[in-house]
This record gives sequence, structure tokens and C-alpha cells, in this order.
Amino acid sequence: MRGAEAITLALVIGAMAAMPLVVGGTYYTYLGIIVFIYGIVAIGLNILSGYAGQFSLGHAALMAMGAYTTALLTKTLAAFPFFAQTGLHIWLGIVCGTIIAALFGIVLAIPALRVRGPYLAMVTIAFGWVVWKILQEWVSVTGGDLGISSIPKPQIGALRLGTPQFYYVVLALFLAALATQYRLINSHFGMQVRAIKHSEIAVASVGIDVYRLKVVVFAISAAFAGFGGTLFAHQQNYINPDSFQFFSSVFFLLAVLFGGAGTMLGPVIGAAVLTLLPEMLHDFDKYRLIVYGCLILLTLYFLPRGVMGLAARTARFEESRRDQATRSIEALTTLPRTSGAELQIEGLSRSFGGLVALSDVSFRIAGGSIHALIGPNGAGKTTLINIVSGVYRADAGRVIVDGLEAKIGSIHAAARQGIVRTFQTLKMFGDMTVIEHVLIGMARHARVNLWDATVRSRRYREQTDRQLREARNLLSLIGISHLEQVPATDLAYGHRRLVEIARALAVHPRILLLDEPAAGLVAEEIRALATVIRKLKDVGMTLVLVEHHMELVLSVSDRITVLDHGAVIADGIPSDIRRDERVIAAYLGPSHVAA
Amino acid sequence: MWARAVTTRARCTCLHAAEFRSHMYFFLQIALSGIATGAIYGLIAVGYSLTYVTTKALNFALGMWVMLGGMLTYSLDVQYGLNPLIVLPIVMAALFLLGLVAERFSVLPFLRAGSDVWVMSTLAVGFLMIDFAEIVWGRNPTPVPPFLGKDPIYLGPVTILPQQLLIIAAACVTFISLDFFYRKTLLGKAFRAVAHSSDVSSLMGINTRRVEALSYAVAAALAGIAGFLVVPLTLAEPQMGTVLGLKAFAIAIIAGLAAPRGILVCGLVYGTFEGLVSGYLYTGIRDILGFTIMIAVLYLRPEGIFGRRQEERA
Repeated sequence: MRGAEAITLALVIGAMAAMPLVVGGTYYTYLGIIVFIYGIVAIGLNILSGYAGQFSLGHAALMAMGAYTTALLTKTLAAFPFFAQTGLHIWLGIVCGTIIAALFGIVLAIPALRVRGPYLAMVTIAFGWVVWKILQEWVSVTGGDLGISSIPKPQIGALRLGTPQFYYVVLALFLAALATQYRLINSHFGMQVRAIKHSEIAVASVGIDVYRLKVVVFAISAAFAGFGGTLFAHQQNYINPDSFQFFSSVFFLLAVLFGGAGTMLGPVIGAAVLTLLPEMLHDFDKYRLIVYGCLILLTLYFLPRGVMGLAARTARFEESRRDQATRSIEALTTLPRTSGAELQIEGLSRSFGGLVALSDVSFRIAGGSIHALIGPNGAGKTTLINIVSGVYRADAGRVIVDGLEAKIGSIHAAARQGIVRTFQTLKMFGDMTVIEHVLIGMARHARVNLWDATVRSRRYREQTDRQLREARNLLSLIGISHLEQVPATDLAYGHRRLVEIARALAVHPRILLLDEPAAGLVAEEIRALATVIRKLKDVGMTLVLVEHHMELVLSVSDRITVLDHGAVIADGIPSDIRRDERVIAAYLGPSHVAA
Repeated sequence: MWARAVTTRARCTCLHAAEFRSHMYFFLQIALSGIATGAIYGLIAVGYSLTYVTTKALNFALGMWVMLGGMLTYSLDVQYGLNPLIVLPIVMAALFLLGLVAERFSVLPFLRAGSDVWVMSTLAVGFLMIDFAEIVWGRNPTPVPPFLGKDPIYLGPVTILPQQLLIIAAACVTFISLDFFYRKTLLGKAFRAVAHSSDVSSLMGINTRRVEALSYAVAAALAGIAGFLVVPLTLAEPQMGTVLGLKAFAIAIIAGLAAPRGILVCGLVYGTFEGLVSGYLYTGIRDILGFTIMIAVLYLRPEGIFGRRQEERA
């Protein structure tokens, strides 16, 4: 954090702390508490929607989970003198409410995150609706429409907190929530979360279980919502289903969008403006929907990145900016030796509807060799790569790695078995920097958990140092160290291809599948690519090259397999393939054979 | 003695049969009115599908458009005393035009961005409509007399309201014409082509922009028909469409947004399901069950019951 920012932050916190003393009456203090509580919920939604790019229109229901849990629990426990004297029931309720909300977040995420776009919106709405209805109908527990009243006031020890005291408690918790968001998003975990938003398939390609990661993000987001809900219950002393209906969920999403989705302070600004706005407008209730409607449209038109999107810096893996000066000294420009695996394709078949893309394809790729896979368009090359890398399932056949049948059920499963790929149509992580791409590639080797990341434990720092060294080493091997801090969106096309390769290498592949790496490259870049490919072979990696650029294929390959119409028509060393009549016929038409 | 036993048994069977019959009638009765509700759901839900297949986005607040159709019907029918046969085309035309405008300003700007913010922008338009309706028509629910009178029609032992019959008939006509439009007319074929691949269609000389805009207009007009048909059964009030639209959306999602015929089936099944739950269990649990089943279905079939799985391309 830079000096000016630190001073601004200190001033803002100071102003927030001084507010109840300066402004008379408890009403504004009360409003402050509500802003902080809504801010906490919005921060949670921001992690999910802003950073991970998953919409939720059901967060009010998760907030309700926290609120009702603590309300019921503390009301029960308040009868025991022990709790009444120590005030522990309040804090127990807050913890339990947060946990219950997180658990329900997982329950919601499991079906919700299997779907996208409007389907995801619908699942979250439906969840919110179901919770809201249950709160209304399950009268014996929730009190139905009347809700739960006389929820215990917050207390520390035997001291009951009035509005001004509770203000400071909530302010502290709010700042803690903000700091947690900051720590999480600027960590190795946060990098993966931000990457999901740009390309799930690329995140999976480095061995990350995307579905699981999204469920975790949802649970964290739900925990924030539930936490906010518990504070809300104790602040209001009274809750009913009205506070948690569909419109409240829209309110939170609007707060995030208005403030700036995917910015640190955006959701907080959004929550503050949307909470305080009604207080400033006379007759607000009458025009509430018009005001919110216009606000949504104006935001989307004129502030597509929200208020904070105008000023905020893009989130970055903060450690990746350290020690930039020393990187050229540390760089080793060598890779550790790899034992490249042997890959055997046995009887692989796959059709799409009536179209047979592959029929009974078998061939062998020797460990540690460069093996090219060529053929005219539509020959089945990409389908084959997709099956081996876990994107598609095969209809029949086996993929055998080093003599053992590989269980490739998904992209990340393939990557975890050392089969890593690049993509013909580039899959970059939006505006994330080059080194962030490479660091994400190392996710599989991470040995730290979320707690380590939040408190920045020693284990976390050591791992970060190690990974940074390796990432820089990889970049200099590929020859793009100078681009380390450049966002991928600003890169030239050829450099993007190289970044994809660097990201794949970070996974430590035993078999690297390169899907048309030379497509769109100029001659000079292709020569650089050939050098990189040879370097990788030198350390023992097995490389499978799907490529149209024959000069590159013939110059680097040890062996070539030719596919046409889903079948192998030739397999041999480059000089043989060059003269093979069937290959010439497939490429140029039968009339050219023997001409 | 034997004879007496036989007669007793006969009387018993007879009694059971009567009881069974009355159960059956009850069942048929609620199923029948459920079908009418289902037809409304189907009508709205197809609107979601229309725009989804052409643009991969949709008017999220279609329920509010249903409300607008209903309120306009109330104004023209009750306040101005126009014949419903004149009211319907006016409502359809008004919503059609409004649909074009709304598409231009609340969907098109965000389509190319490739993000899902159209969820929020169309919802915002819906919010504006609700408050607009409150200002113009007030918040109080007002009844609209059924177009064909109030006396139930007796179909044997089962009765049906003329309005419900009208709904079912009108929904059938709408669906058949929509199907005809899709399969037989040139513009309809253009719709299907754009749904299949927007890029290729545009290369083939189809004005994809026009098709996209029209799909929103047609969806809005369908919502108008639904509002026109349903308003005598609900009441004319600014919130009348919110839940209808949400449930119709759920139905479109369960069926699979790209499967209009499946949506009709799901609409009818869901309407009947709702009728049966309300009839045999109690109304409060209806939506809880309905939406929970919806979530479960999506878990098992993320692409919807009638949807085809689309494999992600690498």
C-alpha cells in the first residue's frame, strides 16, 4: 500500500470512528451500523459475483440463515444464567449463524454452480424463494410473517451494548471483513478465483478442480452474508421474512454493481449509497423501484465497472511485484529434468451425432519424444487432443500412459496425471499479468490452505517465494521475462501463445499437448517456438504437437502420425511421411500423387 | 344369509365406487383448473425461450410485462368499455412496440459485452414498470370481469370457468400459430437459423439484428396475451405479474430454454402440479415444493429436461 493511500484510509477510518461523537442522536449511528452490516454482505457477494464472476440473486436468503440461526439460538440460551451473565450466547450465535449460512451456501452451490447464466440466476432465485416461503410457513419455529422478536441485545460480558457501543463493534468487524477480502483476493487463492471469471476451462487445464473451487468461493461468500445476517438480527432485535425477500437480494447485487464489481471498496460504497439514498429522498417509498431501476440502468450504461471501477487498481497478486530488480540474477534458465511419459492411444473412437470424428485410432508416442499429429481440417486431431486432455469423453478406446490405463474423467484429472495442454483458440485470464498466469499454473503444487493465505503464515510466504522463483525461471526459459508484469490483454498474439506454454509448463507436465501453437505466429516467432520445443525435449518431456505449419513439424518432430477422416493413414519419421502417397493425396487430392 | 352378505358387499362396493368417483371428480376438477394456469405459464415461458435462442439473453422481467398487458386490458376493457376482441390486438401491438424499444435500450447495449448484466438491466426496466403502473393505476387490486361471463360451464360432473376454457383455447391457438411461424414461414426459419448460429446466419444474408429485436418484441406480445387472459382470474394490480413471471421462468429453465415444445409440456404439468398440491396438501407448501423440485431437476439435468447437452469447445 502506498503512503497516500494509507493516509486516506486512516483518515476515512478516523472519520467513521468519530462520526457518532460528532453527529448528535442515535439515528445516524444506527444508520452507520446498517451500512456496515450491508457492506459486509455486499463484500461477500462481491467475492462471488465481482471476482469469480458468478451471479447470485439469493444472498438475502443466506443472510436470513445467519439471522434466524442466531435469533433462535440466543433466545434459547439467554434463559441460562451463565450465558446471560457472560454474553457468550451472542458470540456463539454469531459464529453458529455464520457457519450455518456457509453450509447452506454449499448446499445451494452444489446444484447452482453446475449451471451458468440465466440458469444460475434462476437457481439462486429459487433458493431465495424457498427459504423466504419456509420462513413464512414454518410458524412454530420462525414465527411466520410476524417473525422473531426480542432477540437478545449484543453484550460483552455482562455489559449490554447500546447503539453507540455496538457501532464500534460492528465497525471493527466490518474493517476485519474488508481486510479478509483484501487478503483472500490478493493471495494464490484469489488469483485462481479471479481466473475462473475469464476461463474456467483454462483453470481446469492446470489441474484445478474448478467446480470444487467455485463451491468453496460460494461458501465463503455465504459466510459473509450469514455473518452480516447475525449482526443484523442483534441490531434490530426483531426479524421477519420481509427483510430477506427477493428484492433484498437484488439490492445487494445492485450495491456490488453500482459500487464496482471486482473492486475492493466498491461493494462498500454501493451498500452505503443505496442505504443512505432513501434517507435523503422524501417520499422515497413511493418511488423506490423507479429510483433503483434508474440507478441500475445508469450504472450499467455509464459506469459499467461501477463507481470504484473508475479509480481502483486491478487486483494483483501482491507478492508477485516484489524483487523485480533481482529477477535476472536469480533466473536459472534451466528446467528440472522430467521423465516424459509414453502415451499409447488404443482403439479410440468418438462421434458427434452422426459425424464420426475418430474411428478406432491407435498409435504410440514414445516417452521424451516430439510427436506431431497432422492431417487436413476435420481429420480429428483436435478431437483426439480433447479426449486425451479430458475435455471430451471417448465413445470407445483407451488412453495408456506409461503402460497404465489413464482415468481421464475431466480436464483437471488429466492435468493431475501430468497430461497438460495448450489451446488452439487462446484461453487467457483476461487482464491478469503474465506472471500471474504462470503462478496459477503452479496451483497443483500448492501446500497451503486458506487460513495460511489469510494470515500470511510463514509456510505461505515460503511457498510464494519458491513459486515466484520458479515462475521467473520459466519465463526466462521461454524468453519473455521482460513481460512479467504486463496484463495478458496488452500482449502481442505471439507472446500470448508463449504465456500459454509457460502456464502449462508450470504444472510440470510429463506429456505436453500443444494444440496448433504456431497458428497466427510470424516466421521469427515460429523459430523461437521451435527453440522452446527443443529445449523441452532436452529435459525429457514428451511433446505432442498438433500443427498445420509443415516446416515447423518437419524440423522438430521425431515422429509424425497423420490422421484423415478420423483414421490414421500414416505413421512414421518425417522423411517417410513427406513421401507417403496417401498423405499427399489427403492434403492435395489424389491427382497430385506421383505427379 | 348368503344373499344378504352378497347384497351388503354390493352396497359396499357401490359406496366405495361413489366415494372413488367423487375423489376422481375432485382430482379432475383441480387438474383442469391447473391446466389453465399451466397454459398461462407456458405462454410466458415460451417468451423467455424465444429470446434466449436468438441472443443467449432474455427479458428477465417478463412477468412485469404480463402485468402491463393485464393493466392495459383493465384500462381498455373496464375504463373505456372496449370489446375484448379489440382490446387484445391493441395490447399485443403496444407490447410488441415496447418490446422493440426495450430491447434496443436494455438488452442490445450489453449483449456484445458478453456478460450477464442483461439480467440486471431488464430487471431494472421491470422495476420501472411496476412503479409506473402504481402511479398510473394505483396500488389497489381491481377486478376485471371475465370476457365470457362468470357462470361455470358443466362438463358432466366437473365444472370449468369460461375464462379458464378461453385461456386453454387461446394458448392452443397461440402455440399452434407460433409453431407454424417457426416451421413454415421464411421469417420463422430465419429465427431458427439465428438460434442455430448467429454468425453463419448473418453470412447467409439474414439480418440477425432484426431477428434479435423481433424476438424480444414477439416475447413481449406473448406476455401481453398472457396478461390479457389472466387478468380476469387474478386482479388488476401492479404486482400481479411478478410471481407469474418468476414461475414461468422456472418452467422454461426446467424444460430447457431451447426447447419450446418441452416448455409447453412443463407448463401444463407444473400448473396441474400446483393445483394438486394446493388441493391435496396446502397452498403454503406449493412454491416450496415446486422450486425445490426445480433445483433438483437442474442438478440432475443442468441443460433442462428437454434440453440437449452442449459440450464446451476447447
